[in-house]
Amino acid sequence: MVWTSKAKQFWRFTARRRQMESELDEELRACAALLEDEGMEQVKESVRDQYAGIRLNSLGHDFRYAWRTLWKSRSFTAVALLTLVLGIGANTAIFSVVYAVLLRPLPYDRPEQLALIWSSFQKTGAPHAPTSTIAYREIRQRSRTLQDVGAIWVGSGTFIGGEEPEQVKVAQVTPNFLSLLGVTPALGRVFAPDSAFGEHTIVLSYGLWQRRFGGDPQIVGKTVPMQGGNPTVVGVMPAGFQLYFSSESNVAMDVQAFVPFDRFFYKQPVTLYYLRVVARLKPGIGRAQAQDDLDSVASQIRSAYTALGEENMTLTLAPMQEDAVREIRPALLALFAGAGLVLLIACVNVANLLLERASARRREMALRTALGAGRGRILRQLFLEGLTLCGVGAILGVALGWAGVRALLSLRTDYLVQIRNVGLNWPVLIFVAAVTLGSAMVFGLAPAWESTRLELMENLREGSWSAAPARRRLSAALIVGEVMLGFVLVIGAGLMIRTLANLRAVRPGFDAQQVLTFQLRLPPVSSEDALFNWVKDWEASLAALPGVEAVGATSHIPLGGFANWYSAYRPEGLSETQAAGMIADYRCVTPGYFRAMSTRLVEGRFFNSEDRSGGRRVVIVDDLLARKTWPGESALGKRIFAEHTVPNGFQPDWAEVVGVVEHVRNHSLSEQVRPEVYFAFAQSPRSPLNFAVRLPGDPLALVPAIRKELARRNPNMAISNVRGMEAYVESARGPASFTAVLAAIFAALALLLAAVGIYGVISYSVSRRSRELGVRMALGASSGEVMRMVQREGLTLMGVGLLLGFAAALAVSRWLRGLIYGVSPIDPLTYALAFAAIVAATLLGCWRPAAKAARANPMDAIRAE
Amino acid sequence: MNKSVEVLPGTLDLMILRTVDLRPMHGVGIAERIRQVTSGVFIVKAGSLFPALHRLEGKGWLASHWGETEEGRRAKFYTLTRSGKSQLAAEKRNFQRVFLAMTQVLEGE
Repeated sequence: MVWTSKAKQFWRFTARRRQMESELDEELRACAALLEDEGMEQVKESVRDQYAGIRLNSLGHDFRYAWRTLWKSRSFTAVALLTLVLGIGANTAIFSVVYAVLLRPLPYDRPEQLALIWSSFQKTGAPHAPTSTIAYREIRQRSRTLQDVGAIWVGSGTFIGGEEPEQVKVAQVTPNFLSLLGVTPALGRVFAPDSAFGEHTIVLSYGLWQRRFGGDPQIVGKTVPMQGGNPTVVGVMPAGFQLYFSSESNVAMDVQAFVPFDRFFYKQPVTLYYLRVVARLKPGIGRAQAQDDLDSVASQIRSAYTALGEENMTLTLAPMQEDAVREIRPALLALFAGAGLVLLIACVNVANLLLERASARRREMALRTALGAGRGRILRQLFLEGLTLCGVGAILGVALGWAGVRALLSLRTDYLVQIRNVGLNWPVLIFVAAVTLGSAMVFGLAPAWESTRLELMENLREGSWSAAPARRRLSAALIVGEVMLGFVLVIGAGLMIRTLANLRAVRPGFDAQQVLTFQLRLPPVSSEDALFNWVKDWEASLAALPGVEAVGATSHIPLGGFANWYSAYRPEGLSETQAAGMIADYRCVTPGYFRAMSTRLVEGRFFNSEDRSGGRRVVIVDDLLARKTWPGESALGKRIFAEHTVPNGFQPDWAEVVGVVEHVRNHSLSEQVRPEVYFAFAQSPRSPLNFAVRLPGDPLALVPAIRKELARRNPNMAISNVRGMEAYVESARGPASFTAVLAAIFAALALLLAAVGIYGVISYSVSRRSRELGVRMALGASSGEVMRMVQREGLTLMGVGLLLGFAAALAVSRWLRGLIYGVSPIDPLTYALAFAAIVAATLLGCWRPAAKAARANPMDAIRAE
Repeated sequence: MNKSVEVLPGTLDLMILRTVDLRPMHGVGIAERIRQVTSGVFIVKAGSLFPALHRLEGKGWLASHWGETEEGRRAKFYTLTRSGKSQLAAEKRNFQRVFLAMTQVLEGE
């Protein structure tokens, strides 16, 4: 059998190598007569090449050889390794985030079947609007492609009893919601999918169970005291359970407890939109199929309910994973691309370094060829050197990347929904391996390609006179590419930094400094007046605390995550059709609120204690609404038809504009999302309220005094979400800071690497040209002229690279448009600075070799060979 | 004596197999035999012969053992294996076809 004899040979070659070698030696010596002009070693080498085991064995050989060569030229290795470690490290860090946030499946049962269903209304134009309870019921009943549909709304609840009452985020869910996600509870069970709305039951989060109930293993079946009822615990969710929704959805990821919706669920108005709807697709149903189904469901709903028909309600299906990350994806992908560019630059650098070495080693290679090494063997040798370099680079790179991830986590990236789960795992390691191998290919290939052009004798004869033109062209092209990539990265970073600066400079419609905010669920009282008086008293006692300058409250804190309240409004004199598309954020505020937040009054007045329930209904609007609705006129005295909160929901009514305030950025620092309508708390009461307390110094210092004051009034009430207003602003800036910091790091890396690359190429070129330069100096060229000559070489490369980089930056600028704020993607200042940075990096790279060339003694240079 | 030439490409294996078919032979013997049979037209050099021997052994067509030459020196002898025999027959047939075809090309009108 063929393979047995092959195996025998392989065995002999690998395991009994020494015996085999001596046999070969003996065999050949016996035949010395035949050898004539051939060398014994050469014949041996070609015999060895025949062996089955040759590939494996010489692979080990080549690796050892590669290791030795790399070790011998330590400075080269150090530079190449540093370059690679930076490149691979940056990529490891970014990819672990990309994987955790964008790619890893959500930790639910068959997560690919889960999707969100968003409503969209012509009037609002918002593609991600929540759904009303009736519409939810209809979707659930009419759809044919959905296995089940659940809904959630996150509010708050207060646990009482124990040492201190505590207000936490509590999600109201349809009974089937948790079983729809398919997460096994740590204790007990989740709500039965068919159980009734309004059951007094509760499912706790692991964290709450541990913290507030001491991890009581017998908690299932017990009742827990809460404001407004004592629900029975049916289960505890597992540790690490989170809800993954986009931040725009206002579904917090760290909900502390789940309760079923109350029994009036289906009694609510069909136009009260607040449900976030999650569906599980039937097995085998694709996204397109489900969307078709939803389109027909939406059309049935439109004809069944006039109100929804008039608003031209449509339904959109979005896979849950995709929807959860829709806001962060562009920035992450841009950063990922940036890291990719850094890696590319690193590869180019190492390729150049290897190329230069290959070129310096041409005689070595020629000698090895003369000794019988085949061309393939030499190529493999070069590739292996690259791979060894990369292997070590990868190990150190992963370490650096890991440190990088730790650093990223410390940037307070709450908004990266899944970032807490970022870690080194198989996909990340596989990615690193692929990157490493790919890089080894990229930079192993250039020198290899170069070496295939080796002409044996020519190289043996040739001294180190000059580099072959082809080699110079290749490394010049690499440098040009490097400058180009560097320019693009610096532009990107520049734009991100300017964006961050603009976000810092923007006035959000309030002054966040020295403002303490906290949330309070109001006590149940007999009448609106009693509620109003309670709040008025409470505000007065806050104002009496030492140092407090102003106190106010609002239903929604700007930039806070509380489910938004927005709706249509209609100015007097316009028909309903004319007013289509007029929509505003609604807020109710107490009289002191604008003063506490330092929101500026444009005209008219703030609310005061005369604006009482039952009195003339009044509103304050923002200047955006005023300008849009009554251009060129004063808004004061105008009337709008808008929904007010009443004890059991919402009711539209006419109200008169008494004041205009500046626009407040409720949702994002970079956008004026919607105009705003403010009601007086007394006329449109809501709970919970968010209080804002302005005082000099550290606002958080006041918290104990506030808690004490509250406990004195009502021991069952608790404040929550205690935070300085600045924290909200800071976290709104989070995505931009994150992107800007990373982009700046990448750009700095790119510049550094490009400078190193240029330095490498120019200094190599100088050493190759030392004789020519020496002759020139001997013929009377001044050292200044020599220096300029060398620098000119670098600057020419840079010029070409800049031109290409300019084109590339323009080409990618439209992708950046969504990420930047207040700056044009072709911002002249950024371009000018990037240009300067590249020139500086080039000069830095050229300077040393140029100076060295200019200082050289011409006679030494000429005698050198 | 005729001027010697390089062995025709692709025919070395065939010649080795044919030579070893007669009796087990060592490397020098094989080269010598080919030179004699072709009246010195084909000279097989060590650089081609030994890689070929080892390659053929690797394919299982040759087997080797150490023995003594007529002069009493130790040498490595190669013998044709069973699969080597059928390979020889196949290559022979193939070469004859090629040879015939070549002759037709060269002699034909």
